[in-house]
Amino acid sequence: MLKIVSPRLGTPGTEFVPGEGVNIEALIAGGFVVDTGIDKPAKVKNNDELKD
Amino acid sequence: MATSVLLSQPALTINSVNLTDQCTSATLSSVFTAQNSSTFGSNDTFYVAGMTENEFECELFMSYAASETWATLSALVGTQTTITVAPTAAALAAPSATGPKFTLTNCYLESVDLISASLGDLSSISLVFQGGTLTTATS
Repeated sequence: MLKIVSPRLGTPGTEFVPGEGVNIEALIAGGFVVDTGIDKPAKVKNNDELKD
Repeated sequence: MATSVLLSQPALTINSVNLTDQCTSATLSSVFTAQNSSTFGSNDTFYVAGMTENEFECELFMSYAASETWATLSALVGTQTTITVAPTAAALAAPSATGPKFTLTNCYLESVDLISASLGDLSSISLVFQGGTLTTATS
């Protein structure tokens, strides 16, 4: 997950969701975002969904 | 006199980074390359649209401080990126029919001046983003 560091990108501390064509490596190199290395947890199906 | 005019005050992002407060000039252009479609039997010349050639040019004050011009551009040279530009900051945040937001996706930045200095002047650089796909948002 990418987390915003610079206010030029958005609210610091919140998740950064890159748009199409955005160069993520350049944002990391420039210190605008950090890669937390933590992926968002996958949605867990509840019992009702598993029955279908 | 024109009934509606616009004071130049665009807002822009380069690779999602808002650099409006460093920008002094911005020009976004879209050219449909003219292809000669003239044929025998007519003395007139006719053209049809060929490929599009989108281009975004801007001038920015140079700053080597954190989260500023150099930090944004240093790793972008020689790569494709996305820029957004709108007539006003409000249109950039929330585009509308009277405040469109333009997005140039996968445009190429060929070069960046590492130093651009002139005696007594604030350091500024000119950028040209070439090609890419242009879209317009009005909502």
